[in-house]
Amino acid sequence: MIELQDVGVRFASRQVLDGVRLDVARGARLGIIGPAASGKSVLIKVIAGLVAPSSGRLIIDGTDVTGLTEERLAPVRARIGMLFQNYALYDFLTVEGNVGFPLVRRGEPADQVAQRVRDRLRAVGLAGSEHKLPSQLSGGMKKRVGIARATIAAPELVLYDEPTAGLDPVTTSKMYDLLRADHEQSGATAIAVSSDVAALIGFVDTVIFLYQGRAHYQGPAATVADAPDPVVRQFVRGALDGPLVG
Amino acid sequence: MNYLVDRIAGVGAYALGVLRAAFELWMVFVGTIAGIWRLYGRRGATRPPGALVEQMHVIGNRSLLFIVVTVGFIGMVMIYQACLQFSRSVGDLSQIGVQFARLIVSDLGPTLTSMMLATRVGAGIAAEIGSMKVTEQVDALRMSGVLPIDYLLVPRFLASIVMTMVLSILGAAIMYGAGGLTAYLSFGVNPRVFYDLAMVEPRHLGLGLLKAFCYGAAIPIVSGFCGLRARGSSEGVGWATTAAVVGSSFAVIALDFMLSVGALWLFGGDV
Repeated sequence: MIELQDVGVRFASRQVLDGVRLDVARGARLGIIGPAASGKSVLIKVIAGLVAPSSGRLIIDGTDVTGLTEERLAPVRARIGMLFQNYALYDFLTVEGNVGFPLVRRGEPADQVAQRVRDRLRAVGLAGSEHKLPSQLSGGMKKRVGIARATIAAPELVLYDEPTAGLDPVTTSKMYDLLRADHEQSGATAIAVSSDVAALIGFVDTVIFLYQGRAHYQGPAATVADAPDPVVRQFVRGALDGPLVG
Repeated sequence: MNYLVDRIAGVGAYALGVLRAAFELWMVFVGTIAGIWRLYGRRGATRPPGALVEQMHVIGNRSLLFIVVTVGFIGMVMIYQACLQFSRSVGDLSQIGVQFARLIVSDLGPTLTSMMLATRVGAGIAAEIGSMKVTEQVDALRMSGVLPIDYLLVPRFLASIVMTMVLSILGAAIMYGAGGLTAYLSFGVNPRVFYDLAMVEPRHLGLGLLKAFCYGAAIPIVSGFCGLRARGSSEGVGWATTAAVVGSSFAVIALDFMLSVGALWLFGGDV
């Protein structure tokens, strides 16, 4: 479904991503891990079309979408849902307005939007919060609203940028239970970036380890702690001694 | 030698940065015009509900008191100083109101009102869009298939043009009224003599309205551009807000100069 061919991203003099290759099949769940500032969030934004690669190509369902204009990217993005690291909830809209926004923009009738918003909020455990503003929600609630918004339009691909950042361990477990249930039901492809490796590997099938802007390692999530690469092993185990730089 | 090369490279990089910013500003303007067509020129386009009226309220109604008070005081100070200087040199104050009316209609009314709006409205637009940018709300709009310029800038652009024209007319009237009151109370100038519109011609009114239109278009474009360029966190929003106030005030002054020169060229000395 998603194919990245030698994708590089350069911001001014800094090479953030360098020759990243990736192939994600439909329905797969991929986790992106790596040290801070290794380009994880940039990579997920490249896949969403929010950051244009400086080199290489992004192919979605066989169509090269690299360098498309915002207008031509709109139908591609309509098939993608995204949970942002800092929630990115519209602070001028209520929870109901935020979750229903993608449907309203597609011109769906108001009564259908309201019904689907209620269903979606019930699914993420936020029934009754329709009229609250984002400023009235806790971090965990904001994440759940973000998940509801990312998935309300039944996207084929859902991107999660740090879905549990800043959440306590119990809320983190609940969040991943929610994502797991959601994906088992929808069958949508998922790509998740997270620094919480232990929690992430329970959700994804495969992980890719980004290191110094490159896809340093790719393998099954279940065995990543015993990966043959010493850098990956050190990172996943959180060991202080080892070859990991930075 | 290395120092010289570094300096030249630095100047070159700065010049390139300025050129790139100017091009991006132009693209924001072009995108906004295209956005007006996308939202209002096509059947069945999904417009932000109530956004235009809301922005007219934010830009116009909420600026009303600020504009009335500031341009009122400016009118009073200007007329007081003019009367003071004329009374010391010429002694005849009968022409002050007549000349002031023409000046207000063709220049001071729209320009000073817009300068005030550039600070209040420009800062507001840049802070709002800038904070949406740094909190990824702009990216969330893009992920929902919404062009940020259409959703955020087009309503502000249209509302700003309409309300700047309305407030410029009101500002000019307040300035003129306050000036006449000052002339009467401080120097005893007869209001019938002061409030004389004999020298105001339709072309002065046309020039004043054209200026208000251009200022109203420039303020949200410059401010929105600054907001969309915000990076990082609150510091980036602060930078965007400052840049918006400086940039939109500068745009008003530069447009005033260009339009005044154009009018001089068109009508000769009588503008």
